[in-house]
Amino acid sequence: MRRAPTWPRHAIMLAVCLLMLVPFYWVIKTSLTGENIYAWPPSIIPVNPHLFNYVDVWYLIPFPRYLLNSVIVTIMAISGNLLFNTAAGYALTKQFPGKRWIVLLLLSCMLIPFQATIIPAYLITSWLGVLNSWLGIALPMLSTIICIFIFKASFEAVPRSLIDAARVDGLSEWRIVVRILLPLSKPAIATNVILNFIWSWNAFLWPLIVVRSPDMQTLPLGLARFLSVMEDTTGALFAFVVMVLVPGLTIFLMAQKEFIRGLTSGATKG
Amino acid sequence: MAGIRLSGVRKSFGDVAVVHGVDLDITDREFVVFVGPSGCGKSTLLRMIAGLEDITGGEIAIDGRVVNELDPKDRDVAMVFQDYALYPHMTVFENMAFSLRYRGVARAEIRQRVEQAARVLDIGHLSQRMPRQLSGGQRQRVAMGRAIVRDPKVFLFDEPLSNLDAKLRVQMRTEIKLLRERVATTTIYVTHDQTEAMTLADRIVILNHGRIEQIGTPEEVYETPATVFVAGFIGTPPMNLLPVKLGGSGQITLGDRTITLPESRTRVIAGMPDVLLGIRPEHLIWHTGGEPPLLSGHAVVVEPLGSDTLVSLDIAGTPVIARLPPRLVRKAGEAVLLAADPENLHFFDRTTGRRL
Ligand SMILES: Nc1ncnc2c1ncn2[C@@H]1O[C@H](COP(=O)(O)OP(=O)(O)O)[C@@H](O)[C@H]1O
Ligand SMILES: [Mg+2]
Repeated sequence: MRRAPTWPRHAIMLAVCLLMLVPFYWVIKTSLTGENIYAWPPSIIPVNPHLFNYVDVWYLIPFPRYLLNSVIVTIMAISGNLLFNTAAGYALTKQFPGKRWIVLLLLSCMLIPFQATIIPAYLITSWLGVLNSWLGIALPMLSTIICIFIFKASFEAVPRSLIDAARVDGLSEWRIVVRILLPLSKPAIATNVILNFIWSWNAFLWPLIVVRSPDMQTLPLGLARFLSVMEDTTGALFAFVVMVLVPGLTIFLMAQKEFIRGLTSGATKG
Repeated sequence: MAGIRLSGVRKSFGDVAVVHGVDLDITDREFVVFVGPSGCGKSTLLRMIAGLEDITGGEIAIDGRVVNELDPKDRDVAMVFQDYALYPHMTVFENMAFSLRYRGVARAEIRQRVEQAARVLDIGHLSQRMPRQLSGGQRQRVAMGRAIVRDPKVFLFDEPLSNLDAKLRVQMRTEIKLLRERVATTTIYVTHDQTEAMTLADRIVILNHGRIEQIGTPEEVYETPATVFVAGFIGTPPMNLLPVKLGGSGQITLGDRTITLPESRTRVIAGMPDVLLGIRPEHLIWHTGGEPPLLSGHAVVVEPLGSDTLVSLDIAGTPVIARLPPRLVRKAGEAVLLAADPENLHFFDRTTGRRL
């Protein structure tokens, strides 16, 4: 029996990929030239490429400050998620009275859109006195329910006997988590890091609400301000966009193998 | 080095009781095997001794100290698991050194103890491998090495050989026995395989449905099984059990055949209405005249094993197996007459299952 040739399938997939990449290419191209995006006919190859737009973004607006804010808030969010989701995920692998209700409560909370919780979240943040601070921006993103379940599934896939062996070997519960479960849950860790990076890096609504002073603004807020302050600066705007995107893409590329394994592990390991 | 005492140990999971009051005294350096069918509570009992399961009732003492409330790490026991439970992200060396790190043993001593255990088990050359790069037999050795380096008061084994293929299992069994000579630590070994139990144990504890059926040396449980269950569990093929009726003056009726036994053998069963006669396949002998035969019938299945031949008969509706010298019976359908030394007959109460 002859197999159908694979090249038509590959050609179609390649075409779809190229199509998806066109907007990215356009952004990069425009950021390098500053040409009018409505020009007709459009030039495919950048004409006289230069990096002045990037320099402009770095110096004309407080880009370094936005970047610092975003990096710190994102690091806080990711650390918080790793700490709290590990602890909660491990707790949920155990049997305890009322566990069913807690799981049900967590699952039903996932159905509530963030927008609906903004007012209470704001009141709590204000009550804690952390409005307009890094901690305040990171606060609602310190733990994510879906990521708790990713850890739970990953921990449950670790054979019981390994945990028993560790216990006989003399490890406390915390050490079992840190020395046995986490090293065996790299895909879950990668998934947590990437998802929370994306959510925190791109967060717009919540920072908009809690941030009061310009020097606490994160990159997405900076982008919005940039749009309203500057005019006719397509090139600089697109340079800004590229500078916001690059860290995320880098992290994803570094961790994508583990990330994809983490998203599918619940399905394959049961 | 330590003895272990279990008194009235019980275990329930929710409403389901799985261990019903186990009393057992294990002396220092003894090698005790828990044997019984799957699901009889062997692992549960072992895990309670290790501290991995709560004790529902009763008391467990190691080295004279009640350990009911102690965490596994404070009981000074080492355990070998059925699936070996090697840490997949650590090398063989790290696996073996792991527990010592948490017991404040100095680096140099850890290295020395791990190397010594590796030498005993002949796995020194594997020390930098990861567990996934090892064969089943090698993993098994590493799992034992991890227990040996600890030099604990007690070794606990939970079916350590059941994941190996038949040949390797026999080989490892011999090695465990050799290891015993060098490392004489109190050991509890759980298995469902009666051959393993017989070959390894100083004493065997036979469990059934969460109760002890019998405790004894391999010879005792083989020669004087305390219950029908033990009779059927120990020995391959197991003991034949035939329902018999009692006549007067030392006569027993077996199907349509009546045999007279010496009075010394029948005294114990006098007046019992329902009795099971037990006889091991290897104790049935080819009838050569003299006394009337004990059993007569036709061969149903003939299985030559080389050294001897297993012959199955049907005696009044009960299957019976005899282990006979080769070539006496060649094919199914041949008539077979069998006798037995009255000393080799066992009697059990049919209602309680107890030995008479
Ligand atoms: N964690 C548990 N929860 C409920 N029942 C259990 C649990 N562990 C074991 N059992 C039950 O206890 C009985 C004895 O199990 P186990 O000790 O593992 O048997 P064995 O090792 O002799 O095969 C079985 O019927 C099993 O279903
Ligand atoms: Mg078991």
